[in-house]
Amino acid sequence: MKINIKPVTIFTANLGSGKTEISINFSRMLQQRGDKVSLVDLDIINPYFRTRLAKDNLASQGLKVICPPGHLVNADVPALTPAIRGALQASEGYCVCDVGGDDVGAIALGAYRPYLTEDRFDLYFVVNTCRPFTRDLAGVCKIMGDIEKNSRLKVTGLVSNTNLGRHTDLQIMLEGYTKVSQIAEQLELPMAFMASPQELVPQIKTILPEVPVLPLEFYMKTPWEEAFGEE
Amino acid sequence: MSKVLMKGNEAIGEGAIRAGCRHFFGYPITPQSELPHYLAKRMPEVGGVFLQAESETSSINMVYGAAGAGFRTMTSSSSPGLSLMQEGISYLVGAELPCVVVNVMRGGPGLGNIAPAQGDYFQAVKGGGHGDYKLVVLAPASVQEIIDMMQVAFDLADQYRTPVMLVGDGILGQMMEPVELADEVTLPEVPAKPWAASGLKGRKKPNIVNSLYIVPEDCEELNQRLFAKYDVIAAQETRWEEYRLEDAEIVLTGFGTAARIAKSVVDKARSEGIKAGLIRPITLWPFPSEVYAKAAAHANKFLCVEMSMGQMVEDVRLAVNGKKPVHFYGRSGGMVPLAKDVLAEVKKLMAGGE
Repeated sequence: MKINIKPVTIFTANLGSGKTEISINFSRMLQQRGDKVSLVDLDIINPYFRTRLAKDNLASQGLKVICPPGHLVNADVPALTPAIRGALQASEGYCVCDVGGDDVGAIALGAYRPYLTEDRFDLYFVVNTCRPFTRDLAGVCKIMGDIEKNSRLKVTGLVSNTNLGRHTDLQIMLEGYTKVSQIAEQLELPMAFMASPQELVPQIKTILPEVPVLPLEFYMKTPWEEAFGEE
Repeated sequence: MSKVLMKGNEAIGEGAIRAGCRHFFGYPITPQSELPHYLAKRMPEVGGVFLQAESETSSINMVYGAAGAGFRTMTSSSSPGLSLMQEGISYLVGAELPCVVVNVMRGGPGLGNIAPAQGDYFQAVKGGGHGDYKLVVLAPASVQEIIDMMQVAFDLADQYRTPVMLVGDGILGQMMEPVELADEVTLPEVPAKPWAASGLKGRKKPNIVNSLYIVPEDCEELNQRLFAKYDVIAAQETRWEEYRLEDAEIVLTGFGTAARIAKSVVDKARSEGIKAGLIRPITLWPFPSEVYAKAAAHANKFLCVEMSMGQMVEDVRLAVNGKKPVHFYGRSGGMVPLAKDVLAEVKKLMAGGE
């Protein structure tokens, strides 16, 4: 994916828009390019399906995940480790932040505002137009505005992640991309990139050759998707 | 119709709104907090009431008030919160008030943890509060079914003047699946409620909503009336899903998330030549006993899969009535059975193991 990547990339969104999968895959992409990456789990909102649950899996692939220590991983407490500040200010490599959903999730991000200088970070708002509260411009404005207010930071670009979970097809993604592009235009924000399940990437690239696409491999699975533990 | 990607907890909220519920009272608790969060946004859009009470005890008694005034109303919580509500639920039953109570179960006992569990089965189906009563208990297993079941829940509540409980667990509440939503919402017709305390409306005698029956003869009459009603519900409202059951030699069974796992095991076992099938109760009360009795005629054995130490398995054993062995596999305290472990259990049982 050819985009200009700043030292810190932060993903925010309406709850359940795919921030976590995007943060993980974005970090993996940087890591596979040979860069040093820290993935910060800033999600203090939802204890289910968050980055820290994939920590062991990601660590075994050499990715550094910053989240609360062992016994607090499953705790429903707003704990943030001091290592986050270090990762945000690191002089080399990249830092990717997965922020908790909605305006309430953005409060945690706001605490780090003093450590974020304008030219060093991008704050992306991930949009899935199949989610009930971000189906149109008005919905995106409302949620994005609330996030900006609570984080005291300005969104610098949109990411299109329109999907219906495992039922996503090409048409849904393309319709979503068109919608999110229009929203970005109306908001005078750049469209940073679109995310796509790995298997649909070749088709997307044929239809939208100019658009940067982040291929997604899924880490957050239900117990019946994890199924039989086959290698 | 349009397809939307929703979390189970959000679907409970949207389902309630589409079923005409305009009065929600609740108190946040993980793993169901997205539901009050969702309704806090949605209720003002449809002119409804979202009220965060100061405790679960308050929520359930606010539901009593709204139901007594004739409104479609609900509350929701997770395990420890439901324990706090039990007194109020018994009062709602005693006053024959329709309402919907949601339990997105988590690991227990005690404060336990926020991980998914099914350890409140007994509390839901055997009467968690005091006195002789049953709740209609619905156990959806997908986000679409949650939306559909919320409509059913409110309809049954009004039709039979009874509290209806919808149970899920943390995974069902948090997972996301696409759902079909009608673009135009036509609110369902709600039956007349001439008993409601909603003003005299020209009558001379006020309606009184109460669960105090100070004369024992009267209270016995209430009990008999309730149980006559339960007989009708059991005869008419029992729901379940059968999957690959026709020639099954081993029948897996479970509800909610455990049933989703069991279903994936059935497919995997079939692909390896094991004749497996599934019974998934959708109503936990009334329990679909007959389908188990029928399956016992051709199946050799049963395996009940639960996210508990074994609760529904007691009802399965009563239904199978000793005709065939009923085995159990469960994980508890917030742990979830792994499909591969359930499959190993199936293979062990099919090889003659205990």
